Amino acid sequence: MNSKTTITEADLNAYVDGELTPERLAAVEAHLADHPSDRERVAAWRAQTATLRSLFGHVAEEAPPARLSPWRLAAERRRNISRVAMATAAALVLVVLGAGGGWIGRGLIVPDAAEMTLVSEAEAAHTLYTPEVLHPVEVGGEEGAHLTKWLSKRLDRSLILPDLTPEGFSLVGGRLLPAARGAAALLMYENRDGSRVTLYVVPEAGGEAAMRFTTKGDLTAVSWQVETLGCVLVGSLPRETLTKLAKASYGSLDSGANI
Amino acid sequence: MPGFLDDIETLVPALRRYARALTGNADRADDLVQDCLERAISKQSLWRPIGPVRPWLFKIMINLHRNDHRKRRGSPEPEALELLSVEPASPATQGARLALAETAAALDRLPVEQREALLLVALEGLSYAEAAGALDIPVGTLMSRIGRAREALRTMVDGPGPRLRSVK
Repeated sequence: MNSKTTITEADLNAYVDGELTPERLAAVEAHLADHPSDRERVAAWRAQTATLRSLFGHVAEEAPPARLSPWRLAAERRRNISRVAMATAAALVLVVLGAGGGWIGRGLIVPDAAEMTLVSEAEAAHTLYTPEVLHPVEVGGEEGAHLTKWLSKRLDRSLILPDLTPEGFSLVGGRLLPAARGAAALLMYENRDGSRVTLYVVPEAGGEAAMRFTTKGDLTAVSWQVETLGCVLVGSLPRETLTKLAKASYGSLDSGANI
Repeated sequence: MPGFLDDIETLVPALRRYARALTGNADRADDLVQDCLERAISKQSLWRPIGPVRPWLFKIMINLHRNDHRKRRGSPEPEALELLSVEPASPATQGARLALAETAAALDRLPVEQREALLLVALEGLSYAEAAGALDIPVGTLMSRIGRAREALRTMVDGPGPRLRSVK
């Protein structure tokens, strides 16, 4: 056997790790056949590998904690970036106000500014998409389960799409939109007369806000926040109808953050 | 971005396993994984990795761990106790459990470069080329680290015996 002079410790390691070429593999196997001490060494290394896997293998079988969801981390990153931008903008507003009008409005301007952004985004989305005949939504209401899963994932919230059929509105479908703080979901509902309302949903850090009405032209927006979702319902319908729809949505939409 | 996030989501379990073996501490391991994912997500917006994502993520994690390791060098490592109480998923006899605990403790005493290299290949199943890329070292260096790690572990666990005399 002239192979023994050419077999190195690196070869034995590569043998254990399955990194040898077929020719080299044959040479190492021939060497091991008449070198019991190396055979033992190889067996010990293999046992070591098996031990390492049984020590730590179970970690990869556990469901990772929610804080390690890449979707959630990406959403947090976007939120942090826009929070810095928003805080800068809010600081500018305060400086301007402070120069002109003393302290009036301190504490009012900042939340209102954020909320107004939300309402105007919702109104813009409503105005753009409700007249669409061919493509009002990206995913139709008939694919409800898929729509729920998709939007929940992208918003990092467990959404339950409100069922407004008791109020006479069926789900047309939904789409994903860019928003000031990352992503927003737009859900569209329609009644038998063809009147459409949209529900605009964005993830929020947490908190509660009562329903507020904003009217612009013939559009009325009802906005509120429940736990970790900010919601705006928009439509050109009587205020009472919108209130009823908003209340029906309020209870069902949120099932808590995906935390 | 969605495709990228889906890709790294499937790798989170392996990253947690590697981090646990590298640090020997469950909380520190998950902190390390979180740092690694945050770093990957923030880098991704500027630069999409060429080639497979897996070795790239391990590379990020190893660099973060080295920085962390450098910072805490000198302070005594308290996690040896936790390692001894590691419960393997499969039932094991008293003797086997002891062997597991000894290996875990020995792993913790390996020089960090040897531990990184051995675990990438033996635990995570990376090829030599991938592991060398993740560690930024030539394949030859990787192989010698793995070889030294295996012999050191063996000496620590089995004790020096006549069978250990290496055939050069």
